[in-house]
Amino acid sequence: MSVYAYDTIDREMLADRAAEFRGQVARRLSGALSEDQFKPLRLMNGLYLQLHAYMLRVAIPYGALDGRQLRALAAISRDYDKGYGHFTTRTNIQFHWIKLKDAPDILDRLAAVDLHAIQTSGNCIRNITADPYAGATAEEVDDPRPWSEALRQWSTFHPEFTYLPRKFKIAVTGSSKDRTVARAHDIGLKLIRGAEGRLGFEVMVGGGMGRTPYLGATIREFLPAKSLLSYLTAILRVYNRLGRRDNIYKARIKILVASMGAEAFARQVEAEWALLDQASIDLPDLELERIRAAFGAARFEALPARSPAFDAARAADPALARFARNNLSAHKQPGYTVVNISLKAPGATPGDATAEQMEAIAALAERYGQDDIRVTHAQNLVLPHVKLDDVPAVFAQLQRYGLGTPNLDLVTDIIACPGLDYCALANARAIPIANDIARRFAEPDRADAIGELKIKISGCINACGHHHVGHIGILGVDKKGEEFYQLSLGGSGAEDASLAAILGPAVPADQVAPAVQALVDAYLGLRTGQAERFLDTYRRLGPAPFKEAVYADADQA
Amino acid sequence: MTLQALTANRLLDGEVVFWSGAHWVEQFSDAELFDDPDPADAALATAKALSTLLIDPYLITVTDDGAAPVSFRERIRALGPTDHGELGKQAEGGAAIAAIKGAHGAARSTGRLSLIRRKP
Amino acid sequence: MPTLIRLENGQFLDTADRWVNLDADAPLPSEGDVILPLARFEAEGGALLDEGRSVGVLIQPDQAVEGLAYDLPRLALVALAFPRFRDGRAYSSAVLLRSRFGFKGEVRAVGEVLCDQARDMVRCGFNGFAPSDGSDAVIWAAAVGRYRHVYQAAADRLAPAFIERERP
Repeated sequence: MSVYAYDTIDREMLADRAAEFRGQVARRLSGALSEDQFKPLRLMNGLYLQLHAYMLRVAIPYGALDGRQLRALAAISRDYDKGYGHFTTRTNIQFHWIKLKDAPDILDRLAAVDLHAIQTSGNCIRNITADPYAGATAEEVDDPRPWSEALRQWSTFHPEFTYLPRKFKIAVTGSSKDRTVARAHDIGLKLIRGAEGRLGFEVMVGGGMGRTPYLGATIREFLPAKSLLSYLTAILRVYNRLGRRDNIYKARIKILVASMGAEAFARQVEAEWALLDQASIDLPDLELERIRAAFGAARFEALPARSPAFDAARAADPALARFARNNLSAHKQPGYTVVNISLKAPGATPGDATAEQMEAIAALAERYGQDDIRVTHAQNLVLPHVKLDDVPAVFAQLQRYGLGTPNLDLVTDIIACPGLDYCALANARAIPIANDIARRFAEPDRADAIGELKIKISGCINACGHHHVGHIGILGVDKKGEEFYQLSLGGSGAEDASLAAILGPAVPADQVAPAVQALVDAYLGLRTGQAERFLDTYRRLGPAPFKEAVYADADQA
Repeated sequence: MTLQALTANRLLDGEVVFWSGAHWVEQFSDAELFDDPDPADAALATAKALSTLLIDPYLITVTDDGAAPVSFRERIRALGPTDHGELGKQAEGGAAIAAIKGAHGAARSTGRLSLIRRKP
Repeated sequence: MPTLIRLENGQFLDTADRWVNLDADAPLPSEGDVILPLARFEAEGGALLDEGRSVGVLIQPDQAVEGLAYDLPRLALVALAFPRFRDGRAYSSAVLLRSRFGFKGEVRAVGEVLCDQARDMVRCGFNGFAPSDGSDAVIWAAAVGRYRHVYQAAADRLAPAFIERERP
């Protein structure tokens, strides 16, 4: 087992929560609780009312799960939903066709495999997200997972922070390459080494997307690692007390930090931190070690760096060669690799997986992957520990289940929220737009030639599709009842974080894919070479040539 | 005269439902169409009291021929998601579903009468 | 008399409320225990305390409890308001009263006070509750007793999981 092994206390927490919610559902159905009283309670168990049914958002803590858990999710999708699930930009999984009356049973089924839907919605601390390559990447200062688990426990049912001004999202990265969008989180944490090699965190606060995007400010360059929980308590307390409660669009911590100024905010936090009883909050070393040890350590064989079998298979099969080129990432252990599984087959709904696909991935993880599966914020999955020797067999199986699309980070690897097809908050659909674009560039040689191009689509201003940090960001808006789309360029959710800038007037739905085509053609004509990514060309040249490419024909400049 | 229909989500399972005049039904084509605001408002008031049956009932505008909700969002609620044509109410197929799919034009996509700004 | 629930020695009790809530303008009764809004307390509270009366203060979510620090040793009660149950500022206020200022009197939840928030309130140090949903002591005891463990240390001094785990 690769995930944190729940002990009796952790399991009883889930069981007690599920039992409590069962009682709350019964009281809602009997009328003892009004919808107004019940809604925050069901949100704190991940249950939304969406367009067609209830949606249940199941937590995948810091994006890590094992085969047993993925199989359980597949079974739940069959037994209570319509045989599929949707992986989200916060590395959770959503089921879109849930009945309220089934929710208590589903929570029990989840608890049986140490899963839950705790605090995946509501004005509370949400799922902690972390680097999906944790434990596999060579450039990791420290594994973010044990710290993320410590944060999960600290934030679960925290009595002081259950009714915050607004939702609160934390991301943890252990690597200088940021695969968590840390800079656009309420709190982003980066593991670093300080003086004398001491382990600590860079603490970033006040990032966020939504109506008004912000990149977080570093309020503390180095926080000793053992002070993580007490320092975050100080941040949360300042936010809970001072965050705005009068306007939900101004209630996130990013607004508070911006209005106070990062330095003044940091001083408030430091002052609160100095006063609170750190020793009662921070975990003793023994507990930190216990958590770390409770993650099953990956067992690596001593292998040569190159695998002749893999090399031969690549040479013989161009499809495997392409998959290897695009979807494998370097592993710290010689002879191993990180396999990225794209849930973006052109024409399919981005981030969706059928029950059969989930079971296929579970089987691959169990047989070839140390039973370790990760979810990325780009709505894809990862097998972080696979022997190069085994990649051909893994790829063959992925292909069999439509999971072998070799498009990681390419133009067809699009992030799209469920949008107006499912979501009660949406103004426009995102999925058909993603499909249009992906179909246009489906030919693999074409996508390869374009190179890294991260397109992100949101169906409304809440930005669940992360359009603010897209190389091309697309925001669906409602113009007189028609679906229009605003294009933005130059965003990045990686360590070179930046917010995308609006390119020009919104375009109608059927013009989005042609506009993206025009942008890609402009890029291909302007880049210095294949090594210069779309984002780099945009940053070098600015918006003018791209604006002209999209709007010159349409006479809309 | 603007045609209206009354819709809500069912508490127990979240299903989109419409008031038929006698029952809460799942297909838009069975919905009662109000051509007068008074019975529409009365039906809405009654619905709002059904707090253990429904969540958040509200009135929507309907095209003049009664075939479809005016707003695009309400059409999706009446049909199902457009990425999976085999899921949701649209799976039933038939002429009524086809009529909603084929309906043209749309007002502000939220569909809720109270949010539509009327030109002065 | 209005319903009140008090938590004493781990027991939830339905009690009658001996306190009189005064708003800004209400005339002061000649005797008895009174709860004053903060501004009124700042004006008149000192005199009442000097008379030997029990005085309580009502704190709104946007009022800082730090302002009471000087008077806390003489106060019998602090009422923390929940204008809406989703306004969670009073939880921080309660924690500060107990943990930072060592307040030993009654910390009372008033306003929109519902039994589903019982556990969070108790953990943050509330020990008086004026429920607005008709719930009683039995319901509150059940709500609070629903969880066998806690992950964090809080004002209620329950051992957090990481301490519990150290025990054999």
